[in-house]
Amino acid sequence: MGNLLTIFIAAVFTHNIALTYLLGMCPFIALSKSFKTAFGMGIAVIFVVTLTAAINWPIYHLILVPAGCELIYYIVFIIVIAASVQLVEMIMEKFFVVLQASFGIFLPLITVNCTVLAVSLFMVLRSYSYLATIVFAFGSAVGWMLAILIVAAINEKLRLVSDIPKGLRGPGIIMIIAGIIALAFLGFGGMVRIQ
Amino acid sequence: MKVLKIIIFVVLLGSFFTTLLVAINHYTTPIIQKNEELKKKRSVLDVFDISYTKENLEDIFSDNIEVVQKENKEFYLSLSREVAFGIKGSGVWGPIKGIIAFNPDFESIKGITIIHQEETPGLGGRISEEEYLAKFQGKKVFPALKIVPHGKAKAENEVDAITGATMTSKAFEELINNQVGEYLALIKEN
Amino acid sequence: MAKNIKKLLRAKGFKVMMIGLWRDNPVFCMLLGICSGLAVTNKVENAIAMGAGVTFVLIFTALTISALRNFIPARVRIITYMIAIASFVIIVDRFLQAFYPVIREAIGPYVGLIITNCIIMGRAEAFASKNKITHSMMDGLGVGLGYSYTLVIIAIVRESLGFGTILGFRVMPDGWTNWVMMAMAPGAFFVLSIYLWITRTIAGVESKE
Repeated sequence: MGNLLTIFIAAVFTHNIALTYLLGMCPFIALSKSFKTAFGMGIAVIFVVTLTAAINWPIYHLILVPAGCELIYYIVFIIVIAASVQLVEMIMEKFFVVLQASFGIFLPLITVNCTVLAVSLFMVLRSYSYLATIVFAFGSAVGWMLAILIVAAINEKLRLVSDIPKGLRGPGIIMIIAGIIALAFLGFGGMVRIQ
Repeated sequence: MKVLKIIIFVVLLGSFFTTLLVAINHYTTPIIQKNEELKKKRSVLDVFDISYTKENLEDIFSDNIEVVQKENKEFYLSLSREVAFGIKGSGVWGPIKGIIAFNPDFESIKGITIIHQEETPGLGGRISEEEYLAKFQGKKVFPALKIVPHGKAKAENEVDAITGATMTSKAFEELINNQVGEYLALIKEN
Repeated sequence: MAKNIKKLLRAKGFKVMMIGLWRDNPVFCMLLGICSGLAVTNKVENAIAMGAGVTFVLIFTALTISALRNFIPARVRIITYMIAIASFVIIVDRFLQAFYPVIREAIGPYVGLIITNCIIMGRAEAFASKNKITHSMMDGLGVGLGYSYTLVIIAIVRESLGFGTILGFRVMPDGWTNWVMMAMAPGAFFVLSIYLWITRTIAGVESKE
């Protein structure tokens, strides 16, 4: 139990997937213009990341490894991710229309969000158990959402009041904000240790 | 008809890439295994301070080192009865892996090499620098190795910490103390 | 407008490549593929390996997709791109493991993430699926080189300030104190944002706000 908690805290704070591993940056830059869109994307990412890691773990450990086909795991993972995004979209369209309206547009974007694939790759690399994988996936996604929310909130306020140089507007200033937040997150270093 | 075309296409595409990957795999697997083997051998020779060149690495290793397996643990014995083995544990940012070697008395350190670490470059990251690791030479791990604030190391089981990297030093101390006892006890039985 | 210009220039493979190098440079203009752009640029050698890997995957995906462009059924289009891209990424990964194990260890999982580098999928869909094989490969080469030189420039700044070296050779004077932050994540953000600021000002790209 203590171990799982460590993994969770590490994934959210000390080893934040956006701010220390610099992953999932494309949607990060594109969507951190408003707090509301950032929030929608964050929820969608949490859902898809946890789901795909939960599917990819048994596929890797129960099918690919016994069959000796670890080589093709990149292909299998990316197909699983694409397929589950599609599935989630279909289910939402059918049963959760309200939800679909609020963050359905973010789903197709998730396939190319490297956070999703990265979480599955890290899970193999660090040979996590099934439970640890789910906690790690959930934690990473929460960490990603936390990072994008902080940056989006700052960016939203900043644009109203400040005169940003032309070339720096948009992605440039988002990157500077993210850099400062990443510096702040370094302060969490050493809070927990992972193997 | 349309569905048939799609199926044929996917099957053909799949078999093409599978063949390609199998071929690549067949070609690279022996090289990759050899790389890992060589890397291990290099680190072992480094920790015993035995010099070698790229060409004679394999010969020097087999002439000088005896590999002993015991209870799933791997030991490397040199001709002069020094022993080395792998240690691993967690640092501040990620895992630390290394090899530690002991003099024939099985309690003073001959040398340490770090194979993998992800500590802060320039602070904790200095842990893999030879200059720092040299400080461990001759230090005793019994009753326990102690890493003390910089410049305060006096006793024969005390080593200076890295300046500005207390956390990494602490983690390193723990990971050495946690593992050497068990390994050394096993090898002493021999 | 931009599309018309592209159409005009598409006539010649070389010009196609030049567009990728400057006007349509993937990093500073279209802002694609920055994940790996940020993560691997702490050392110049990693940046070169990543750039070469991406260029390789871009060229061969372009070759495959362009050769098959008249046969790929529309419904399985994206899956086809993915299989092709993932296969070439595996090849790059195995190649690095076999011949450059040190670099592979340094950039580890980021090699696999070339798959989700949106540049590759983007070029496959926007260019290779509609153009001749030679032009598509030139486009891949151009975009790949554009991506690579951007990575290398950022890496030169980060490595020289963060470690005092370039490609392992000492470039800073003896008394130099390494800017540790440059080697870590925040440094990546700062250097890339300054790089964007400079290039966007010169190229006159304006962000739609």
